[in-house]
Amino acid sequence: MKILIVDDSSTMRRIIINTLSRIGYTDVVEGENGKSGLEKLGQGGVEMIITDWNMPEMDGLEFVKTVRGQNPAIPILMVTTNAAKEDIVEALQAGVNNYVVKPFTPETLKEKIESLLG
Amino acid sequence: MDQSEIDALLSGGGKSPKKPKAAVKAAAPSPEPPPAPVAAPRAEAHAEPQKDGSGHVISELDTVTAVTERESNKIMDQLDQIGNLVSRQQKLITEIMGNDSAQAPGVQKAIHEVMSASKEIQDKVFEAMDLMQFQDITRQKLERIVHHLRQIHDYIVELLGTGLKSDLERPSISHTIAQTSTTPDENKSHADAVIEAFKSQKKG
Repeated sequence: MKILIVDDSSTMRRIIINTLSRIGYTDVVEGENGKSGLEKLGQGGVEMIITDWNMPEMDGLEFVKTVRGQNPAIPILMVTTNAAKEDIVEALQAGVNNYVVKPFTPETLKEKIESLLG
Repeated sequence: MDQSEIDALLSGGGKSPKKPKAAVKAAAPSPEPPPAPVAAPRAEAHAEPQKDGSGHVISELDTVTAVTERESNKIMDQLDQIGNLVSRQQKLITEIMGNDSAQAPGVQKAIHEVMSASKEIQDKVFEAMDLMQFQDITRQKLERIVHHLRQIHDYIVELLGTGLKSDLERPSISHTIAQTSTTPDENKSHADAVIEAFKSQKKG
């Protein structure tokens, strides 16, 4: 399964990639903002998206809305520092399937990914 | 307070806040040059100082985030290397365990102990990698501080009708600092409850 990770922090991308590899997902592609995320998604093969919210050029919310306009089915997990209730609701309304607040434990990421993949 | 005083305050006020007005004015026409750009992508993208010099503080904060990101990646590289070495060590131990000369109970016990210690090291390496999330959390907190500084700067510029407003592209920011935690999963139950409420509302 190919997973797209969109985050402007290279450290955070590495942490997520590391966690994914520990739970058996090694096929990943990376984007550093929504814009490059859309480019990577356009290259095909992506079956799940993990995205940050706060990024330059195109933030995660705009990215999710754009993706949902093209692909209503792909599972999207938002991983962000935004913890306010209204943020979580806004992200869910935009089309996010599940939500993780940073910092997270590997167990939480695993639990959320597995719940998304059913 | 005129533009040069605002710029001086933003660029170097933190170093000498009690400087008399005249001295600030005298120093203002040739403000200190911004710090040398750091060879990191984020600093290059955002650290350009404004023409009126107001970008100095913002530029310095951008430099801080760029440097911490670069150094965090160096730590991650080291942890990766330790992880690889431990994996190699475990492979070697497994090979030794199968050796005829290592079948004595005492030797096997010692090998198992070494293997167990090796796994413990690997878990600690993974734990340390996960803890590196602090870098991103801190960066986002700084982004919010920069955002507020820019708002103050733009407000004063608008009030006085002088200088340049900041217009650099920046990441979107979280609305509040208060809810940003540094303890892993501190907000998990809160987020899960909001998700559950949203889903039940949608179903109903």
